[in-house]
Amino acid sequence: MELVTRRRLVGAALLSGGALGAAALGLQLLREKAPPVAGLRVLSAAQHRTMALVALTHIPPGGPFGWSAADVDVAGLFDQFLADQPASDQRDAGVALDLVDLGPLMFERRWTTFTALTPDQRLAHWQAWSVAPQATRREIWQSLARFTGMAVYDQPGAWPHIGYRGPSLARRTGPEQGP
Amino acid sequence: MTITDCSQSSGQPDDMRCEVAIVGSGCGGATVARVLAEAGRDVLLIEEGGDFVGPQRLTQRDLSMYDQLYADRGARTTADRTISVLSGRVLGGGGVINACDVVPVHEAIWRYWHTIHGLQQWSPQAMAPFVARALQDLSATAITQDQVNRNNQILRQGAQAMGYTGELMHHNRQGCVGLGTCLIGCPLGAKRNPRMVAIPKAITAGARVLVRAKVVQISAADRPDKTLLVRALDPKGYHETSTFRVQAKRIVLAAGPVGTTTILAASGLGNDRLGRGLSLQPQVAVVAQMPDIVNAFDGIPQSFALTQFERNDEKTGLGGYRIESIFGTPGILGSLVVQPGIEGKAAMAALPYVAACLVLVPDEPVGQIGQTWSGRPRIDYTLSEEWKTRARAAVKTAMRCFLAAGARQVMVASAPPLVVHSEKELAQVDGLSFAPASIGLISAHQQGGTPISARPDAGVCDPDGQLWGTPGVYVCDGGLFPTSSSTHTMAPILTLGHFLGAKWAATWGKT
Repeated sequence: MELVTRRRLVGAALLSGGALGAAALGLQLLREKAPPVAGLRVLSAAQHRTMALVALTHIPPGGPFGWSAADVDVAGLFDQFLADQPASDQRDAGVALDLVDLGPLMFERRWTTFTALTPDQRLAHWQAWSVAPQATRREIWQSLARFTGMAVYDQPGAWPHIGYRGPSLARRTGPEQGP
Repeated sequence: MTITDCSQSSGQPDDMRCEVAIVGSGCGGATVARVLAEAGRDVLLIEEGGDFVGPQRLTQRDLSMYDQLYADRGARTTADRTISVLSGRVLGGGGVINACDVVPVHEAIWRYWHTIHGLQQWSPQAMAPFVARALQDLSATAITQDQVNRNNQILRQGAQAMGYTGELMHHNRQGCVGLGTCLIGCPLGAKRNPRMVAIPKAITAGARVLVRAKVVQISAADRPDKTLLVRALDPKGYHETSTFRVQAKRIVLAAGPVGTTTILAASGLGNDRLGRGLSLQPQVAVVAQMPDIVNAFDGIPQSFALTQFERNDEKTGLGGYRIESIFGTPGILGSLVVQPGIEGKAAMAALPYVAACLVLVPDEPVGQIGQTWSGRPRIDYTLSEEWKTRARAAVKTAMRCFLAAGARQVMVASAPPLVVHSEKELAQVDGLSFAPASIGLISAHQQGGTPISARPDAGVCDPDGQLWGTPGVYVCDGGLFPTSSSTHTMAPILTLGHFLGAKWAATWGKT
């Protein structure tokens, strides 16, 4: 009896492992290979691509003004930021980006990835993360959205569009409005 | 002024000795350093952050300043990502990056601690001289009418229209020209904060100061000569470059509730109350779309406070809520936008017409500071139902004020955003769930974690600020408060610094 149980257990473990392996392989095949990105310190090329598309989805071109995440290397800044963070943060960020990319498959049962969606589909999917039933998805949304907002709107190119005239000390002491 | 930067090769220290080592240079640490140095003690003040003074270093840019002036590069949050936990990591501590609000502990709160918590020395009368010294350090004055920008005028108009009482706040600015970037440092040095007041005085009195030096552990705490393990950091403060030791007769931890608790936990010190009793005072932002230009970027960000609903009660402590105008710089505002896509861009394009405030809702000390498996701080905090109820009431009050001032719509940045156009829509606020990571809350005034107590089983430190059971190791930061002290903690912590510093200077035997 005990032997049979052990055999069954081993069999079940092998089956599960095989299924997981096949799923992982399937997911890898599903994800189109990302073009290499020079100089990355933490993120893989695929994670860099996902972050770039998250940023572009969060702050896209068009609308009330042209300035967008396309004007800022948000993914590169994120990689730089992570490079000086503890290893546990780097791992978490990588997993988070992988999860976002596989989000359509995992949470919407669509045989595709975030990066393969159209811009409109990406926006709808990304928006769903902000109100997702799983707290982890909302946490990931908060983290990536906050970083993107900070990175895009800290740039001088954004300021004329949001009524900000630039650092006030420079304005006071600059040549146009000298003391 | 002699400040040794441990990130520079010339600043790499060998092992050091002193009578008193003070860890952390904010309102508590800097004040104690000054008081003890002026009393003739041999003081070494150790700060993890860098020294940021003047326009070359304080650049008024979000990304670099949040990175350099704030703990965890501005990214510290509760474990569930719901609350941004903001605290300083710079010479001068939180005083460098706060909005300069001077709100001393109310007499009723001193009485509450005195009677309900049994802290015999904390009566209003006994504390009055130390409050006065704190206010003197801060050069505290009332903000004048001409310093009130349009953003603050709108909240005041709304409050007046609703019949609510409020006040122009007291602040610690001198020579302020209204640059508007208080939260990422004043390049003109107009804040009378520890970096500008206590630290120069401490140095004049003989204190030595180290920056970019991270204290990670206390050892030999039971011996007359205790040892601090210190790591020198690189110029950005990201990585450790070398290790040295500091021997001291006495150690004062003033690294803020999270920092102090982390060092004690890593050292195996403190009792089973360590890290418990944390107040975060979560704040909720309310944003109004006005019909006319507001230009809230310009001028003092925070000058008017709606105080009608604040409760300072000698039986129950600090409660109620308070509402204050606020604004930020583009990066931090952009990080708070909750609508992705074009909708979010439209919200940013409307900023010139936006008025904003924070509702400050004091909390019970229900949080806990622990450690992750890798030894980093972990902050666990669950919003109580009572707090949520008060926060919803506060949000409604803020929305009513903005609507009374003519707002077209008022919003809370939750996901999805809660948007209200009229009084009758205010009932929607009752649906604010405050579920984890569904709304961005802010904590700027952490307290507790190492609370002072009359009995060893009720707190971590005795009434003299010394760890129960560990002679010679003391705490002097917001962690000592057994409950919320005030809606703004700069003046309360400075008061503690003067109180404990004077006591220690008088009672510690000369070495």
